[in-house]
Amino acid sequence: MTWTSLNAGIALPEIFLLCATCALLLIDLFVSDARRGVTHALALVTLAITGVLLWCGYSPAPELAFSAMFVADPIATLAKGGMVLGVALVLIYGRSYAADRGIYKGELYSLTLFSLSGMMVMASAVNLLTLYVGLELLSLSLYALVALQRDSVNATESAMKYFVLGALASGMLLYGMSMIYGATGSLNVYEIGHRLLVGEGNRLLAVFGLVFIVTGIAFKLGAVPFHMWVPDVYHGAPTVITQLIGSAPKLAAFAFIIRLLAQALEGFAPDWRGMLIVLAVLSLAIGNLSAIAQSNIKRMFAYSTISHMGFLLLGILVANPVGYSASFFYAFTYVLTAAAGFGLVMLLARNGFEADQLDDYKGLARKHPWFGFMMLMVMFSMAGIPVFVGFFAKLAVLKAVVNLGMVWLAVFAVMMSLIGAFYYLRVVKLMYFDEPVNDITLSGGLGAKIVLSLNCLALLVMGLFPNYLLSMLNDAVVFSLPL
Amino acid sequence: MVTLEHYLVLAAILFAISVFGIFMNRKNLIVLLMAIELMLLAVNMNFIAFSQFLGDSAGQIFVFFILTVAAAESAIGLAILVVLFRNLRSINVEDLDHLKG
Amino acid sequence: MTEVLFYVFSAVLLFAGLMVITAKNPVHAALYLVLSFFTGAMLWMLMQAEFLAVSLVVVYVGAVMVLFLFVVMMLDINFEELRKGFWKFVPLATVVAAIMAVEMVLILTHPAAQLKGVTLMERAPEYNNVRDLGVQIYTTYFLPFQLAAFVLLVGMIAAIALTLRKRKNTKFQKPGEQVKVKRNDRLRIVKVDSEPKPTFEAPKPAAEGQGEGAKGE
Repeated sequence: MTWTSLNAGIALPEIFLLCATCALLLIDLFVSDARRGVTHALALVTLAITGVLLWCGYSPAPELAFSAMFVADPIATLAKGGMVLGVALVLIYGRSYAADRGIYKGELYSLTLFSLSGMMVMASAVNLLTLYVGLELLSLSLYALVALQRDSVNATESAMKYFVLGALASGMLLYGMSMIYGATGSLNVYEIGHRLLVGEGNRLLAVFGLVFIVTGIAFKLGAVPFHMWVPDVYHGAPTVITQLIGSAPKLAAFAFIIRLLAQALEGFAPDWRGMLIVLAVLSLAIGNLSAIAQSNIKRMFAYSTISHMGFLLLGILVANPVGYSASFFYAFTYVLTAAAGFGLVMLLARNGFEADQLDDYKGLARKHPWFGFMMLMVMFSMAGIPVFVGFFAKLAVLKAVVNLGMVWLAVFAVMMSLIGAFYYLRVVKLMYFDEPVNDITLSGGLGAKIVLSLNCLALLVMGLFPNYLLSMLNDAVVFSLPL
Repeated sequence: MVTLEHYLVLAAILFAISVFGIFMNRKNLIVLLMAIELMLLAVNMNFIAFSQFLGDSAGQIFVFFILTVAAAESAIGLAILVVLFRNLRSINVEDLDHLKG
Repeated sequence: MTEVLFYVFSAVLLFAGLMVITAKNPVHAALYLVLSFFTGAMLWMLMQAEFLAVSLVVVYVGAVMVLFLFVVMMLDINFEELRKGFWKFVPLATVVAAIMAVEMVLILTHPAAQLKGVTLMERAPEYNNVRDLGVQIYTTYFLPFQLAAFVLLVGMIAAIALTLRKRKNTKFQKPGEQVKVKRNDRLRIVKVDSEPKPTFEAPKPAAEGQGEGAKGE
């Protein structure tokens, strides 16, 4: 092995991000608390340059690096672009919220950028080892970020729950990976897929490992029956971290599922399809039904996330490129929708006031009509009402499911979505038709408000012209997966 | 003759014991963290068994990295435990009830 | 011989594992965990994975378990209270865990798993486990190696960000400023005019009487 054979050039975005984060860590030592804006600006510049490097490095065919540990294929590049955008939105929307709660510190930025680098490595990993290390880099950063507001009982409690269940999930995932390794004798995703397809691997051990891997994936995604951590962590964590957990890692989880199920274990598609049907049906049902009973908007978003992940799994279980690209589109647009939703919650929050009770939104549209309209766009998009992008995402997934012949599953998903539309529309009703309970003022800088408005408008614009993104993602999936 | 099967069965029983510990433990958060370490020990046993009995060194390298990551993970877990203890003055799992449900 | 050792170590390992979960005192639980790690390392030695056996002892027992013990002793836990209601969950959890263990063992001992006769790979006499792993880690597995370094950095940042508290009233020295001090910052020489030496005078009797009167009250 020589240095050039590593082909490290295709990993330039990740290398730059990691070096810049270390530089940020050092520079932040010399920045006083009053001038923390320097760290904020440097972090955003880092994200911008990483995005540019990703765009320049886009290649239409998969390229391997680091002795077949790392791949730069279109799925990875597009997923990483979505993740960079998602993290940038977290930092932009969360700045004044973090300052009010005493977490506007250098560690917020460095841990967030490290979590992004973990997500990017996960998206590009084609070896079980790299996948695990990337997953842990992401998870450890998130555990620490949830606990960062260390004087808050809710935050530390939810951090502990997140940590225990996350470590349990990693343990299950590792046990499954060890069985797959034993069955096929290799850790490389492509080789595992090949050996299992031609029948060289031990089928019993591989299916045994598959069960544990699907369990681990379900934990990380927050699918029922492993969803226990989602409401408590979303509720207890500071809202800026809830936005981080709820947006970009979903794209990383999507890429993770593609590498494991679509590439390594594609020979067992009938087996994992059955498991994913159970997970998706339960997630759609329990997510939508439980969200109705919530009075806290963050818990409502948490249960709605569970149901959205059910939709994501519906696209994956179809097990063909059409389904995968539908899920990719769903995950991508979900990142933007969740970012907008939590950004709006943070816009309303100020020192001592969390703005996380549904009653706090009563009569909002009368005092701040533009804010009310933005919230309406986000709610309609999440509910899947036509013209907004959420509708097309759900439509793409349902089309893929129907094409497979499972019409009952599509009908069930539509029914659950209709039930789900109730709690989204309830928020709209509270804003437009109820009397205000609190004195409502908006916090946050002008820059954040402008970006938030653009974000919400994007939900409308992407809904009017969905085909551009949809075809780009479809091409990415087709070029990345060897047929 | 000790075969691969013996080691895998041992690892499976150890894994089951650790899952038992995680779900049975209602009182002591530290024992919960220790049960997670036992789970990782079972997984490591699996990887080394497959690596040595099938002749491929990839499994042992994976164990090396699992050791590294588990060390960092336990450091963070204990830091969160310390912060939680400073807020609640208790490590009883049943006291983690401030969030509804 | 290997068989006997295997069964002895396995028994100790499983016993230690059970005691970790069920020990009353958290310090005892930590020490049983140390025992289980040592025994695991011995089992890995039996499988001829020497480097990892030694790493397990050095990294896990030497660092992670020491950290656990520090934390256990630092958090002043009243473990008598922790035992109340302990045995309530045991029957259900034992049944679930036993079913899980039996199912996993049944799958692993099934003939279709082809695990029955597999024995340890024969290695050449000059095979060096440490060298083999070392070459692999620095060449093929270079990327995970670098990423593992970042995982450790994140662990460090997180532990410090969460638990470091500055005491507000500590006084500490700043050697940089101590060294920069010049003589004129500390010492000022003042010119004072010389005065005649004062002569000693005896105290007056009237003042003495008043002083004694004051003392009498």
